[in-house]
Amino acid sequence: MENIIETMAEQLGAALVILGAALSVGFAGSGSAWGIGIANEAAAGIMTEDPKKFGYALVLLALPGTQGIYGLLVAFIAMSKAGLLGAGGVTVTIWQGLAIGCACLPIAIAGFYTAIWQGKSSAASILLISKRPDQIGKAVILPAMCETYAVFALLMSIMMLTGIKV
Amino acid sequence: MSRGEAYGYAVARIRAMESLLFDAARYQRLLDADGIVGAIKIIGETNYARGLTDDETAEQYDSALEAELLATFKEFQAFVPDRALIDIFRLPYDFHNVKALLKGWFNAKTGGKRRWEILTPLGSISIDDLTVRIESEEYSLLPYGLSQILPACVSAWEQTRDIVEVERLLDEGLFSAMITLASSLGEPRVLGWVRARIDSENIRNLLRLRRFGFDAAAAAPFLHGGGTIDPMTLLSLLPEPYDAWGRMLAYFDIGAAVSSVQDDGSFDNLIVSLEKALDDYCQSRLANARYSQNSPENVLAYLWGKEMEVKNIRTILVSKGTESDRDEVRRLMRHGY
Repeated sequence: MENIIETMAEQLGAALVILGAALSVGFAGSGSAWGIGIANEAAAGIMTEDPKKFGYALVLLALPGTQGIYGLLVAFIAMSKAGLLGAGGVTVTIWQGLAIGCACLPIAIAGFYTAIWQGKSSAASILLISKRPDQIGKAVILPAMCETYAVFALLMSIMMLTGIKV
Repeated sequence: MSRGEAYGYAVARIRAMESLLFDAARYQRLLDADGIVGAIKIIGETNYARGLTDDETAEQYDSALEAELLATFKEFQAFVPDRALIDIFRLPYDFHNVKALLKGWFNAKTGGKRRWEILTPLGSISIDDLTVRIESEEYSLLPYGLSQILPACVSAWEQTRDIVEVERLLDEGLFSAMITLASSLGEPRVLGWVRARIDSENIRNLLRLRRFGFDAAAAAPFLHGGGTIDPMTLLSLLPEPYDAWGRMLAYFDIGAAVSSVQDDGSFDNLIVSLEKALDDYCQSRLANARYSQNSPENVLAYLWGKEMEVKNIRTILVSKGTESDRDEVRRLMRHGY
């Protein structure tokens, strides 16, 4: 019985790291897919009438995809921190694992929501360029506002992960 | 998928289609065109070209306008998630066809002629189907409450020979069907627009009824329920001079549209100006939809805009035939989309 508890205690830290990494990739990625889906509907709508707008639409519908990349980046850093990527495993304690798992949450949560709202903003901007293609510069800036908060979350996750001593 | 998400594609496509609608510059070119031939040449450079034939004559342009409107309805049916939104626009044409077929049928019974040429393909029920059902008195499968309305119309005709009563029953059925369609969507703003349209129709009717000297009791059956203004309130306008109507309707959204028209003593001028003001009011009710990327009202706004465009083109083309004053024609034109 004691052996079982000891084994659990040894592996729980790593499990928490994996949970955090999974959340950051899963939520931020899902948000990105959702946001791109929303922007895609608008892009498909304008391209049905005017296929030449593909170039403009592509820039705008790619914007919500960045959150998924941020989530992936944070997951890599977290797993690397816990030594889960290399051959020589590093054992993390439960508290270290919990800290790494929690550090993944800012990008998981903010990435999910900002990607969806950025997708909606991108869809609105795609409607804008359908009538005013000359306004592409402004059309990109509007959804980029949502990106700011995803970047804040990414920075905070990275700073937290850097600060954890393993 | 929510209704909002379902309209993402549709609204984007509508936005892209907006660039094909006539803008002020194109209307100006049309107004400046040299006669009807020149105007048709300009129309031939647009989407309306698909309805024009090589031997286009002044009398045939109407079919080109009709063909373009029909093509728009069919195109929208292919991508708009709720067909009821398009049917709201096609209903008046269905009821127009029913009126034409019924009148023809009544005429034929009394030795008169049928007028097939006034039937329009713009309705949602096929003309052949409608003709067969009306001629054979098989109404049971007809939609939009026609299965109940048509026997009542036939009965009214057989008892009174009053064609106005038949038309009144059909108009009542039309607006009732419109409300039913709009309600089925569960979108309060769509229903609100249909109710505003009923208000417009009631005010238009009221002005005509006043001209014919109808009192409140005689006019009441011609006002349709379902609008935002109670028919009793509207009937109270009847004995008042037109210039007082705007003040009496000031508490309703439509009041400003009614106030914007001045009575210069000529009924013809007044009804024409009021009809324009009411059409513009219906358009203005949908103006906010442009700020939404997934509102079903965008479908209504585009289709209403298209109908107004067809109306404007028809007005200009008729004016070319009659050589009307250009400023007068511009005054009659509806606001564009």
